[in-house]
This record gives sequence, C-alpha cells and structure tokens, in this order.
Amino acid sequence: MTRHSNPPGQPLTALYLLHVGSMDARLIGLSTERHWKHQVKLASALNQAEVVLVDCDRPGIEAAVEQLAAYPRTGVVYYAFHPKDHAQRFPNRVILGKPLNLEALPAILAKAAADAAHVIAAPPPRFVAPPPAPVVVEEPGPASLGHGLQTEDERDLCGAMDDLPATPGQPLPDRLFFNPDEYIIGHIHRAVEQAANTGRPHLVAGLPRLIGVRATPVPACITDFRDNQLRPLSMTQLPLTTARIVSASTLPQGSGNEIVHSSEDLLWNVAAWAARGRLPAGADPYRPVRLRAWPNCTKVFMSPHAMRIAALWTRTWASPVEIAARLGIAQRYVFSVYASARFAGLLDTSLPPRPVAPAAPARQFSAPEDPTIQTATTAPTAGKASPEPETKQTQQRPSILSRILRKLLNAV
Amino acid sequence: MRSERARHNKIIFSGTVGAGKSTAIAALSDIPPVATEAVASDETGLIKKTTTVAMDYGVLNLPGGEKVMLYGTPGQERFNFMWEILSEGGIGLVLLINNANPDPLADLQGYLHAFKDFISKTAVAIGVTHMDRAEAPDLDAYRTRLASLGHQPPPAVFRVDARSRDDVAMLVKALLYTLNPGLIDA
Repeated sequence: MTRHSNPPGQPLTALYLLHVGSMDARLIGLSTERHWKHQVKLASALNQAEVVLVDCDRPGIEAAVEQLAAYPRTGVVYYAFHPKDHAQRFPNRVILGKPLNLEALPAILAKAAADAAHVIAAPPPRFVAPPPAPVVVEEPGPASLGHGLQTEDERDLCGAMDDLPATPGQPLPDRLFFNPDEYIIGHIHRAVEQAANTGRPHLVAGLPRLIGVRATPVPACITDFRDNQLRPLSMTQLPLTTARIVSASTLPQGSGNEIVHSSEDLLWNVAAWAARGRLPAGADPYRPVRLRAWPNCTKVFMSPHAMRIAALWTRTWASPVEIAARLGIAQRYVFSVYASARFAGLLDTSLPPRPVAPAAPARQFSAPEDPTIQTATTAPTAGKASPEPETKQTQQRPSILSRILRKLLNAV
Repeated sequence: MRSERARHNKIIFSGTVGAGKSTAIAALSDIPPVATEAVASDETGLIKKTTTVAMDYGVLNLPGGEKVMLYGTPGQERFNFMWEILSEGGIGLVLLINNANPDPLADLQGYLHAFKDFISKTAVAIGVTHMDRAEAPDLDAYRTRLASLGHQPPPAVFRVDARSRDDVAMLVKALLYTLNPGLIDA
C-alpha cells in the first residue's frame, strides 16, 4: 500500500460499508483514517456512495443485495473466504478473497465505482439463489465454543478455511499462510527480540499511538492502544515503511492511559489477530511440535478450543493437523494457537526424541478411549503413583468433569 | 472403602497466606462461602487481619441438584495436617501463590511437594496473584521452576485476580482440561 498515493485534491472514492462485520468495519475505518485519506472516504448512507462493500459470508446478504437494486450506478465489490463459491451468484462482479488486501483495495474500489458510473441502464443486481448445497451430515459438535466468541467474531478471528488433508502430499494453498512482516506482529516481535538482546527499551515508531517494549525487570509492552484499536490494527496489512523499530534510553510519556502487558500476552494476541486461522509463513502443518507451556489464559485472547488445544499440546508432540484430528476440531483453530504460540515464544519446534505415531482418524478425543488421558499427570514422574487404584475414580470422571465445565462456561 | 468425604465431588484450593484462596472460593461459589477465620495472631497478622484456621467451603451447584464442593485449605503451614484430609477424593488442586511474598518460587515448590501424592493422581492448575504489586518473578520463572522440579507435562500457570470469577473459573477449566483435553461441555 502506498500511502497518500493520490495527490491532495484528487476526488475521493465514496465507500459505503453495506454489509460488513463490525471487525472489518473497524479495520476499514482505521485504514481510511490512517492510510487512505486521499483515496477513500466513508459514506454515511447508501445514496451517497459510489461503491459499496459486501461480505458474502455474512448472513442476511440477500436483503443487502436487494437494496442495491435502486442504485444501478453504484459499484459493488464483494468479498468472501471462497470467492469462487459466489461467482455464480454475482456474475461479472468483483469478488475479492479474505482477508482483504488493503494495499490493493482503494484502486479496486475506485475502478468499481468508475465502471458503475458508466452504466446507463444496467439491470439491477438481483440476488440469485445459490444451487442447493449437498446435505452434509455433521457430527455433533460442542454445545458451545466457549470463551464468549460469537459466530461472526469467530469467523472474523479464525477465518473459515477448509481443512487440509490428514497427510502431506498435496501443495499447500497460499491462503494458508500469512507473512508476519506485513503485519504489526512482525514489528512488535522484532522490537521484543531487540529489547531482549540489548536490554534497552525499544519503540515501534510511526504508529498513531505508543507501542514500547522493555526487557527489564520483566519483558513488557507498554501501549496506549486499547484492545478495540489494536485488534483492527493487528489485522491490517501495513506497508513496511509504516513502522520502524527504534532503540530508546527510556520509553516516552504517552497519553497517560498506557496499558502494560506482558510481552508474551501481547504477542499472543496480536499474532492471533493477524493470523485469523492461518499459519505464519514457513510453518509446516504436518511437522510435530509442542507447546512448552500453557499461555496466560486469563489475559490472552482465547480462540475456540484453545484451552483444549493447550492441554493436549503441552503433553504431546504432534503436528497442527494431528492435534485437530485428535480433538475432532477444524484445523483453523489449531493454526490460530500455533501462530500465537510461535510469536509468544511458547512453541517448541525442536525435533521430538522419538518417531511420532501417524495422525489418528478424526474423532472426538475422549478420556475413556485414550489411556494417555487417564494416566496423565503434572506431577514429577519420580513421585507418580500407579494409576491402578484410581481406575474407578477416572472412569466416573468424564461426566462430572463435563458438567462442571458446562457450569463454568455458562458462568464466564 | 472410601470415606464419606471421598464420595463427594470437590476441588481443593490451596496456597500461601494472603494468596486469595478464600476470595477465590467466594468468587466462584454459588452460596455465601463458609469460612473458619480467626484474628491472625502470628506473623500472618502482618499480611492480613484474619486468616483461615480450618477451611473455607463453597459450593458449585450443578444442574440436577449435584454439588461440587470447593474446599480451601488453611494457608499456615502449622495446619498442614489438614491438607491431606481435605484433599482426599478431590478432583484436583487449584494452587494460588502470592507473588508479593518474599520468595514465591520457594512457596510454589513447598506446596507442590506437600501435595505431591494428590497431584500425581489428579492434576494441578496454578494461579499467581498480586502480580500487579510484584511483577517478578514472571510466569516464565514459574514455568522454569516447574520444569526443574520435573513437572511434565507443564501445569497451567496463569496470572490471576482472585476476586475475578472469570479468572478463577478459567483456572478450574484448565484443571478440567488437564484431566481430559477431550472434554466438551455436553
């Protein structure tokens, strides 16, 4: 993305966010305010727009598209996780893939607006019902994803990518990966590393608000970005020139509203928001790794199933694909944890000491069927008692544990 | 035959004086917690005015009338003869460590040793409190100490505000998932 690539005075493209999730709206709003202020302006109503943006994956798209019938000279840019799936519904329309490439978006919006302005009497875009989808019988999933994530948020934060095959062999799709250098996570991670190596505070300069890093007495990040500002910023692709790492003798005084995060917690969150269910470039989804520790779950963003993933991945070497198969969950949830753990320094990628068994078939991982669970313990091996006397106790546990868990999920 | 106590579902809360055991149980319990507190007459009095001298008791009411008892052990080590009795038949241990104490890592080591047998049969989740007052040691220092003590797989260690029901519930959830990562809330 080239900042201010349009000279001042150039007409701005009036964009209306017709059918867009709250997270994307914040992200685009931030981009408009920060990077596109000479290219795009947000329109407050559909009749003031030259182009509209529509998220195909959100429910209620039919009603949104119906509104466009009255505005044939307004450009429409759709976007979706799987653009090809929507090509039949919206022929001859631009359908971008998620996540949006914010560098290219202003030009695409401008072109769509210009193209639509030349339309004289084009037939109004009507919603074409998609062909009936094949019936897929899903295995019953958990009654709740837990941790308070709503469906829309979950899609925004973990994506909707299809699972990879259980075994390697096919080329990995590009959309599986994100390049951390194109996001704020790459900058913050480098700042934390440099602060740790030099013992001096470092700043991520060039941002509208403070992000500083100190190494002592404990590694910490100081920022006056609030979470609802940091999250869209973390999801936005930043030009490399936007931010730079600078060493400082002390961290400057900010607005007085600075929040101190442990570096590990901040890196976990920012990485999760950048990843959106993808892996960092270079990661191998079939290579066994493990978590060297649980994340600080009381303070960090917990994607769906993150605690189950942490519980299993701290006790076993397994690839992301294998963890997803063992827990019977979508791989994107595991990829999200992988990305966060890697930047937070919680991922152990050294080779396992012994060969790892092949991935188990996809099924729900449950204690009665898996002997490793019944004997698993966090106590030192030397002091470990034989599990034999506890057989009766552990056999009775799953139901009571599940009931306690349900109670707690409802409580939180 | 297991005792009457052992047939109950219970979760044990233990940890150092002033770590927030009573507060954590109060945050999670569905009933006003029962506490056997007394005016602190020893060095505990320097930390807080009253202290638990027998146990704290709270309850999680589950649908269907079932109950999970939340037992808090007294923090003072002279009452440690009660720890084993209280933990008998428990589901697992929530261990709270006050990070503002002079040597919290030694506290951690001491409590893990005291509950060694119980943890070996169940699981432990560790909450570090008062990190707002004392930043160090950080969570990584706790993890390093746990690894040096041979706790593998590593137990969950979270920064916790014992007054927060969310934080305490998160610790208990970690305990449950440690016992069985395959758990779902059904």
